[in-house]
Amino acid sequence: MGRTILTFVLLMGISLPAALAEGNRDFMRETGKIYVVVATLLVIFLGIVGYLVRLERKLTRLEHQTKDDA
Amino acid sequence: MWWKITSVVLLVYTIIAGFLVPLKSGIERVEPQAAQTGEQTTIRFFGYNTFFARPSDEPLRVWLYYNDQYALYAKTVRPLNDTILEATFSLPVNLPDGKPFVLLNALVDHPTAGASLLPAALTLRQADTLSAPLDPAWTQTPVEQLHVQKGFSFPYQNILYETIRNTYFHVPMWFVLLFLFAASVWYSVKYLRRPEPDLDRYAAAYAEVGILFGLLGLVSGMVWANYTWGRPWSNDIKQLMTAVALLVYMAYFILRGSFSDPEKSARLAAVYNIFAFASLIPLLYILPRMFDSLHPGATGNPAFGTQDLDNTMRAVFYPAIIGWTLLGFWIADLRTRYQRLHDRAMGVD
Repeated sequence: MGRTILTFVLLMGISLPAALAEGNRDFMRETGKIYVVVATLLVIFLGIVGYLVRLERKLTRLEHQTKDDA
Repeated sequence: MWWKITSVVLLVYTIIAGFLVPLKSGIERVEPQAAQTGEQTTIRFFGYNTFFARPSDEPLRVWLYYNDQYALYAKTVRPLNDTILEATFSLPVNLPDGKPFVLLNALVDHPTAGASLLPAALTLRQADTLSAPLDPAWTQTPVEQLHVQKGFSFPYQNILYETIRNTYFHVPMWFVLLFLFAASVWYSVKYLRRPEPDLDRYAAAYAEVGILFGLLGLVSGMVWANYTWGRPWSNDIKQLMTAVALLVYMAYFILRGSFSDPEKSARLAAVYNIFAFASLIPLLYILPRMFDSLHPGATGNPAFGTQDLDNTMRAVFYPAIIGWTLLGFWIADLRTRYQRLHDRAMGVD
């Protein structure tokens, strides 16, 4: 219990001053919010890749099925 | 085959150019943001992607700009570094048109980076009413011969900053959706005229990939909105209407699945597809223009009018649309080919 409180206090002691120093300055908003652009592209890329993976799995299943039948 | 290669080439160009082309210099904010007439004041200008400390042979010129007639020229300009400069002004004793206060735009002219403007940067209040003739400081050094930046760069917009590049990723998702849904209804109509199963396969595949791009557009928009509009979802009219449109198209697939007879299901789905596509007109085209919105194309303005896109952005935006659209058709082509193989293997064909 004591160790939990100590850890919590130490974490707050480090992060809180940093958070208060600049209002909304978190990682995503740094350097002109370029990482928001990175995140957008990642979302689109992963979405397309996810769909292709789904299609790939369906194809593999179909290939195995037709191989078994043949 | 050529169109698939074109898609990749255009998308590689879009991503590289979309990320590497720099933004124009801009002014993020000034401090203080208010002043009174008659004061001697030093104002700090905070720039984004600016080069204050590196002018060439010509000096930096700074104005507090009211309109073409009235502008206050800075007495001294001192760059502290590339992105912060201090300008001192002898503020005049009265305001144009006898107003109690005016909003002044911050204008910095750099010989190579060009001119940057921050609208409504400073509020200037009238200290005591002075009805004497207008202080000559307003017209002494008019704004003229502003420099234009040499080089290719994207516009600077406050709040957006670098996220303006999302125009090449988030926006094309919707163009792809429209093209794919249009292809889908095209094949549905063809199917109704000549009930070939392959036509129905195309219709379904285009609709499915259209939904995929719609979801990608919605989620990518929510990521963008979170850091520019403040929240990922704000019941914005376009957000709501595109969500409705996606539900309409998801119902298309529920309809397809609810019949065991494939011919009947294909025919009914084809008819539904026509109504679904028709619903896009009020949902995506008409309603968003009727309401206030942070999206371009609201309150009566046509989407993507001349004011929404810079010529520099068009050089990347148009290839991006083509590249993403071709990619969408490529994915739909793969989906159709899978369905063909599936139907043949299951003995449905």
